[in-house]
Amino acid sequence: MNLTKPLLVAGLLSLNLAGSALAAVDDEAAKALGKRNDCFKCHAVDKAKKGPSYQKIAAKYKGKADAEEKLMKNLTTGPKVKLEDGTEEEHKIIDTKDPKELKNLIDWILSR
Amino acid sequence: MKKTVLFAQIAALGVIGVFTTGTVTAADPAKINWSRIPATNVPLFYPGQSSYEWLRSDAHKNAAKEVKRGDSCTSCHDEEGAEKDLGNKLVQAGPLEPMPVKGKSGYKDLKVQAAYDEKNAYLRFQWKTDNAYPGTEHQYLRFDGKKWEVWGFPKLDKIVQDGQMMGIYEDRMSIMIDDGKVPGFAKQGCWLSCHDGQRDMQKQFTKAEVAANPLLTSIKKSDVRKYLPESRNDPSDWKTGKSVEEINKIKAAGGFVDLIQWRAHRSYPVGMADDGYVLEFRLGDAGKDMFSGNADATTHAPKFMWDASKVGYKSITVDQLHQGDHFLIREKNAVPFDPNAGWKEGDMVPDYILSREDAKGSAADNNAIASWKDGMWTVVMVRPLGLTNSDDKALKAGGVYDIGFAAHDDNITTRGHHVSFVKTLGLGVAKGTKVDINAVKLP
Repeated sequence: MNLTKPLLVAGLLSLNLAGSALAAVDDEAAKALGKRNDCFKCHAVDKAKKGPSYQKIAAKYKGKADAEEKLMKNLTTGPKVKLEDGTEEEHKIIDTKDPKELKNLIDWILSR
Repeated sequence: MKKTVLFAQIAALGVIGVFTTGTVTAADPAKINWSRIPATNVPLFYPGQSSYEWLRSDAHKNAAKEVKRGDSCTSCHDEEGAEKDLGNKLVQAGPLEPMPVKGKSGYKDLKVQAAYDEKNAYLRFQWKTDNAYPGTEHQYLRFDGKKWEVWGFPKLDKIVQDGQMMGIYEDRMSIMIDDGKVPGFAKQGCWLSCHDGQRDMQKQFTKAEVAANPLLTSIKKSDVRKYLPESRNDPSDWKTGKSVEEINKIKAAGGFVDLIQWRAHRSYPVGMADDGYVLEFRLGDAGKDMFSGNADATTHAPKFMWDASKVGYKSITVDQLHQGDHFLIREKNAVPFDPNAGWKEGDMVPDYILSREDAKGSAADNNAIASWKDGMWTVVMVRPLGLTNSDDKALKAGGVYDIGFAAHDDNITTRGHHVSFVKTLGLGVAKGTKVDINAVKLP
């Protein structure tokens, strides 16, 4: 378990460094992964739920070079995150072994 | 199948008579032009044992705090296809479904239309049945050669799941209505009433526990059914009932939900829907229901049998199930049971006797018509406006109500239903007032 996460993060970073950020987002694949991981229980595209909207997240990271890295950390390491009601909770770790699938989800979020 | 539709039409004729009496004009529900009434799709899903207590537990992932705080179910479960995903998951074997019913659907679309006039509200429902026949059969009394015993049980019962007994239980359409007086109902709807300890729920009651419970013994109940949190000192413990005096005060203040159930065997044949409420228990309204048990309390033999001179038989056998309408109606086709009528092993008589004439008081407020065609039930409930009974929620023009829907389908009861998240029902609300379903004023 502990070894898998750094490997996944490293894989994603290498994908990013390889210049794939401009690759087209697979909308359906991103939504399917999000649904499978209950992302939409806490997040919606255009309104705050338990967590911020994806539009708000995308706006927060717009133009920032470390956007992908920060989202990746949230989705793969389960850090404490601040909720809309002001409390904190550990973010869910996305269950996928496919770095491309996870990167696609991050790109989808950032393109909202 | 034709017989079922025909019977509904005959029943409707009886209903029309009721509607046309009095000084205020009421619509005939069979003649309302429903094609002009907007329809709302209400997704229904199988909830399994997702009780009030489970929702507040850590097993309800990352949501216990929010539920305890009173957040609405849809503050999380509002994503596209939420109900379908939940139902398809919960209908399968898992922590919330220890006894899955083979082949049961996890999800149903319920089409809801609403109208009203000066006298009544009319709620029309359409949903598809899992089976290719209407669920109008209910439990029977069967002669085994020596004695009469109940035959046919709901599909969640072990005896049915073990293949020892046929699954037989009526289809139902139920609604729970509140007028804003039950804390939390607008956010969490029917889940306020569904608790551990109840029939077919986790930690189901024992007879000894019920016999030792002050509240349930004082209201003469022998099991645990739906209750609202306000009726218990600890809402998550059915054993902690408040005193009858305290509960009466809550009821007098309107702190109960109305529960109307259309029953495909026990109310449909006489053109009615039953009328009850939930507070400390799932209770019937004052008066007399349109159905009652047909078994003698002492001998367990039937009290009534079919009138052979009217229907051609005094009883049926199992091979005749789903071949016609097997309703036993006191004023139409029943005669007192004759123990010397030459009974043979396998003879079956309905376990319930129906009567529109005998239904009285607040329990007899609601009418209904229905038909089943091509795999779909169409039911219209007719609820009088402005009821003043202490066990009714009074509906009125311009009012907005919180409402939950449930369909019992395929020979099942208790948790084996498909339910909705709570919705809002308006009766002709003004533009700008947002409701999920707005009843149309009939001309």
